[in-house]
Amino acid sequence: MKLRSFCLLAVMTALAAPPVPRELRFVIPGDPRSFDPLHIEESESETVKYLTAGVLVRVNRATDKLEPELAESWTLTDAGRTLTFHLRPGLRFSDGTSFTAADVARSLTRALDPKEASPAGDTIRSAEGIPEIRVVSPQVITLRYKVPKPGLDRLFDGIGIGPSTPPAAGKLPASAGPFFVAEYKRGEFVRLRRNPNYWKHDSAGHPLPYLDSIRLDIQQNRDIEMTRFLRGELHLINRVSPDSFARLKEQRPTAARNLGASLDSEFLWFNQAPVRTLPDWKRAWFTSAAFRHAISRAIHRQDIVRIVFGGNAHIAAGPISTANTFWFNKALPPLPTDAAASLKLLVSDGFTLTGGVLKDRAGHPVEFSLITNSGNRPRERMAQLVQSDLAKLGIKVNFVPLEFGSLIERIGKTGDYEAALLGFNNVEPDPLEEKNVWLSSGAQHPWWPSQKSPATPWEARIDELELRQATEGSREARRKAMDEFQKIVVDQEPVIYLVNPDYLCAIAPSVKGSNPVPSPPPVLWNIEWLRLE
Amino acid sequence: MRFLAIAILAAVMLASLFAPRLAPYAYDAQFRETPNAPASRIFPMGTDDIGRDRFSRLLYGTRVSILLAPAAACVSIVLALLISVPAASRVPGVGLAVSGLTTICLSLPWLFLFIILRAKLPLNTDPSTSVLLTFGLMGVAGWAWPARVFAAAIREIRQSGWLLQAQAAGIPPWRIALLYGLPHLRSIAAAQFRVLVPAYILSEASLGLLGLGVSDPMPSWGNLLQDLQHPDIVRANPWILAPLALLVIVMICLELLQSPPEASL
Amino acid sequence: MTLRPLADAGRRVFRSLLNLVLVVLLGGFAAAALVRYSPGFDVDENSWNPRISADTLAALHARHEQANQLLPFYLHYLRAAAQGDFGQSDSYRVPVSELLHDRAPVSAKLIGWGVAGGLSFGLALAWLSVWPRRAVLSIATASVSGLLLAIPSAVLALAFFFAEAPLSIAVALTILPRVFGTLRALLEELYSSSALLAARARGIPPWVLGIRYVLRPAAPQLMAVAGVAFVLAFGSIIPIEALCDVPGIGQLAWKAALSRDLPLLSGLALIITFVVAFVQMTGDLLAGERN
Repeated sequence: MKLRSFCLLAVMTALAAPPVPRELRFVIPGDPRSFDPLHIEESESETVKYLTAGVLVRVNRATDKLEPELAESWTLTDAGRTLTFHLRPGLRFSDGTSFTAADVARSLTRALDPKEASPAGDTIRSAEGIPEIRVVSPQVITLRYKVPKPGLDRLFDGIGIGPSTPPAAGKLPASAGPFFVAEYKRGEFVRLRRNPNYWKHDSAGHPLPYLDSIRLDIQQNRDIEMTRFLRGELHLINRVSPDSFARLKEQRPTAARNLGASLDSEFLWFNQAPVRTLPDWKRAWFTSAAFRHAISRAIHRQDIVRIVFGGNAHIAAGPISTANTFWFNKALPPLPTDAAASLKLLVSDGFTLTGGVLKDRAGHPVEFSLITNSGNRPRERMAQLVQSDLAKLGIKVNFVPLEFGSLIERIGKTGDYEAALLGFNNVEPDPLEEKNVWLSSGAQHPWWPSQKSPATPWEARIDELELRQATEGSREARRKAMDEFQKIVVDQEPVIYLVNPDYLCAIAPSVKGSNPVPSPPPVLWNIEWLRLE
Repeated sequence: MRFLAIAILAAVMLASLFAPRLAPYAYDAQFRETPNAPASRIFPMGTDDIGRDRFSRLLYGTRVSILLAPAAACVSIVLALLISVPAASRVPGVGLAVSGLTTICLSLPWLFLFIILRAKLPLNTDPSTSVLLTFGLMGVAGWAWPARVFAAAIREIRQSGWLLQAQAAGIPPWRIALLYGLPHLRSIAAAQFRVLVPAYILSEASLGLLGLGVSDPMPSWGNLLQDLQHPDIVRANPWILAPLALLVIVMICLELLQSPPEASL
Repeated sequence: MTLRPLADAGRRVFRSLLNLVLVVLLGGFAAAALVRYSPGFDVDENSWNPRISADTLAALHARHEQANQLLPFYLHYLRAAAQGDFGQSDSYRVPVSELLHDRAPVSAKLIGWGVAGGLSFGLALAWLSVWPRRAVLSIATASVSGLLLAIPSAVLALAFFFAEAPLSIAVALTILPRVFGTLRALLEELYSSSALLAARARGIPPWVLGIRYVLRPAAPQLMAVAGVAFVLAFGSIIPIEALCDVPGIGQLAWKAALSRDLPLLSGLALIITFVVAFVQMTGDLLAGERN
């Protein structure tokens, strides 16, 4: 007995690493694939980039205002075609080398080069050719576009500026943000240390950031993450699942934070593409707006919010989350639930309900498959609720969870599916980048990708509005286009929106200075101001 | 002891066969006002996270698992015997070829075969077809495990004294195989059977991740046991362990049934 | 005359080695083919990311060395692998050999202790159920083995993880019931052999009996069981490492499978087939030696 408790003690002391002063600890689910700020493809790299990469300007996540960062000022002239940045004097990278307009020019050139295939560069690239970059002085740099680009200055929030000479082989890159990558043990952790040359100071003249280092443990299992947080081994959880949130609220009520509806949405849609695997009569249902409305109305979204998300979600009103205060069309009411109206709609569309089975005009029983990505518990449960709601209308739903590779192959490549339930994790409140999803010619257009020409007048109108919002200069004019776009999507329901899950996170009481907001990265956005006590 | 084991197994079988009579509710009835309810008079084992009665689901779930997993295990063992018996022949190369084939099958990433099967099946495939195919493929894919042990045992027989004696006595080979070989292999086959049955019951749940096997809302032991991976859920309602307990009981009964008869002395 | 058996043994070893190489090559190819022809192979996971433009997607896609022609890919891969270069992982963007080098020690420890523990617990349990000939004991051992068979290995490992106990015991407990039946059948048969009964009647001490009449004659079958245990351990570390976040080969294999990382999976398949084939070959050769 004694021996056993001794062994346990030995194991426990071995697990508790030596304390590092003022080191913030949290978990990322996988290995970051790249530390190059221009080659970020997944959330892990995105997190590291936000904490390390120097940016010229930054959107304040709490006020939504654009603030100076490495550039102390900037001007948009020439009717929004020319952008000039004035850098702060005396800037240096974490390794001590000086940071000048030449570094900015090189990073921007790389970002804009189509051959470099930089996802970050996509946002600032323009269909009308590469903008001209000019280094005016070591402190001043200008970009000149051929045509105006909407919201141009805000886009530079996402462009990390690296040193003009890439790091030597096997070395980690220097950075100009609040932290730099100091240590990386693949599969285990990434350690960031404070950048001693970071420019920012607090009002008392104390250099920022306050934290000495950050340790990002690489761990995929969310149950383990929560257990470690409750044991006090982690300081925060960036995103808590609805299941774990109940446990957190019970055991550490002060650490549980619900930040309100997130920008994300969960939805389902029917395949409307003319593919060989989809019989014509089924495609006829899916292309009928009345059918889609009927399905939408039969779904008890209130139950989804309560049962699947434990109350931590909001009923969606349309393609833009209700949390996206500037872009959401406030004239849209929440989507209704009304099974009786739903049946009426179906009957008016030629369907008949006999003996508990819904049949179309030609007598085909209404049955379709619904796919989602397996292993995602909220989505699997939403599908089960939808399945049971629709069974009451005499519709048979065959629910098939698929692992991600198979799912993407069906949706993105072969089109061999009938209905899909998925969600989008939105990083950016501005709808600019979602153009790829909504244009009928887009490869990611869910219900019928890569159309040669829009199939219906309303799809043609969506195309027009999307193009307008992507080229119009003023934010107000863009918002008007987006308002009409949201109205069309709700009127036609090519995508049936379900809920906007709340942003749930966990912050230990020892973390001071945090001001979490439901816009990514919710807890880390003001990292330089975070302290540990 | 054996009698008790048989009685318990029979009771489990009967309970699952008469599930529609015995179960208080349908396996897919969602009581949305009472998700995650604790055990009570209304719900003997509580409800799951979308309000379905756990007891009814356990009764229905037993049917699939208790019938199909043993069937798949039999398929594997028969295949293993058919493939490993030629290894006993003295034709040069056959032994090596069989052992090579076994090795390749043991190290193949079978997961992908199931992913390919799912891609070839239409999404609206009838659940029972999908279940049958899944167990069938598991049975076929699983032959290599028992085959290894059979091959070793057959080699042992070939070298044993009694075989030489029998051969010397002029007993025809098929008679030797039938009278001496098979009984010898029987206990090994039984041991393998016992290992394969729970393995297939549990694998069926993992295949749910690929969209194969028993699909919602239909229950099976496999998908009922999936919840065990989330310690929160187990803590909240210990009745989640009921399917595990039932599986353990069945396994112990199988173990007792197959413990070698005293007659072998 | 005396050289004959030596030459025979040499020929046998040579033939086995040839067989080993052939099996590894075929096994590797079969695995690569399965990966190549499974859905999701040629689809970029980024294709669902609205922030990335179609052109960039196309460029990223072209960058991954995809094996649209399976056979040329595999031959090229083998040639490089022969020189120790297992290619570049698609999902991790680092050389496969580097990933394996980082992760192998973690898994080797899990497997090593797991196999040793599994076999010794298994033998002990089998002995308990056979030797003392008590009904209570045989029921108890059957229950232990039944219990362990029924618990999914990943769940067992998770329980150990939360209890902060070594995961290798979980691997051992996964192996135990899967070798127990075979070991018990083996012991049962040997203990009832006439030679042993005679020796027992002569009053030879049990441990001598155990070694002379049980362990020695059972060596080839024990080797086969050990080989199976080893392969079982290899298989069990995949769910265990994936669920408990252990940065070993098993977790690597799981992630590689989900992202259809062909170079990484081909490398892993070659290694796994080699290990399995090597275990089998040693077992076969030892068995042949006694013949």
